[in-house]
Amino acid sequence: MANQDGNNIATERPADLDALNAKLKAANARRPQDTEEVSNGSALGMAWRLSTELIVSVLVGTGLGYGLDKFLGTSPWILLIGMGFGFAAGIKTVLRTADAMDEADKNIPIGDDLPDLPEDTDP
Amino acid sequence: MANDPMQQFEIKKIFDLPDIAGQDIAFTNSSLWMVVGALSIIVFFFLTLKGKLVPTRMQSLGELSYEFIANMVKDTTGPEAMKFFPFVFCLFFFILFANLIGMNPYAFTTTSHLAVTVFMAVFTILIVIIAGIWKNGLRWFKIFAPAGLPLLMYPIIILIEIISFIARPITLSVRLFANMVAGHVILKLFAIFAAFLVTQGGGIAALAVVPVIGTMAIVALEFLVAALQAFVFAILTCVYLNDVYHVDH
Repeated sequence: MANQDGNNIATERPADLDALNAKLKAANARRPQDTEEVSNGSALGMAWRLSTELIVSVLVGTGLGYGLDKFLGTSPWILLIGMGFGFAAGIKTVLRTADAMDEADKNIPIGDDLPDLPEDTDP
Repeated sequence: MANDPMQQFEIKKIFDLPDIAGQDIAFTNSSLWMVVGALSIIVFFFLTLKGKLVPTRMQSLGELSYEFIANMVKDTTGPEAMKFFPFVFCLFFFILFANLIGMNPYAFTTTSHLAVTVFMAVFTILIVIIAGIWKNGLRWFKIFAPAGLPLLMYPIIILIEIISFIARPITLSVRLFANMVAGHVILKLFAIFAAFLVTQGGGIAALAVVPVIGTMAIVALEFLVAALQAFVFAILTCVYLNDVYHVDH
């Protein structure tokens, strides 16, 4: 059925829609109540994120050290220190990213089984 | 026959534009395919516009893409960051369309040039810096100095935090650029190898089946990478936008 605008307004089978609505509500109630829905993409995405973060941090630290060495004429000491700092920064970023990924994955059920509701919240 | 796998990334002038400050400005094949990408995004979302109560397929696509990015922004940064939703949405779809269009034969992959990806990454980081200072004032610089550390640690930690902050735009841009270039080069190499084997004739020509199968597998992988890199860029933008709102972490 269509109204005068030519738009299909779904009024023809309200009983079906009500039944569907009830089903959807029941299904939603069975899902874990979390807000964290965005996962980390695929494993490939995670691998790319972690590896580039580590490598680029080391390169940035080394690059800054190299620049300062050129500027101050202390080659190669600041470069070496910069490399160390870059490595530290890389490890720190990677650990932080990994923590965030763990956090995002915590509430995602493994396989098709949804986790049971906690016992004590049952009425 | 094009035997150079890097030839596909060559920039060609289509027509010259007036020079700005002595710089050679021209409309190139890269600009052309960027325009094509932007136009196809506009056309795509125009096709999703017909609003109906029970959505058609195209309308569902539009609504799904809105919800996908909106949930990403809300879950990663928080509901207050929805101000930046249009920005993340544009970034995601520009990169996605640029990558997917680049998968077509004869099309140019605009995201395979550092100039393009660095611009997007630097723009993102500048937005974070400017919005952060706008919102928090000079208190924003506290993101480089986490609270509650022994005083002696601060010089080291601040240096480390600054290095990882500088690394952000570089990781963003290099990852996208490297993925696109590497994928296209491998694809081209496999295809060239297949063509080379065929020219040898006889029993060797039959071996060309192997690189052709490899090419097909890499095409599939490249479509995955094209979507994945757009997603990674968008979600990292959201992660970095955290620094605008959560200064004391």
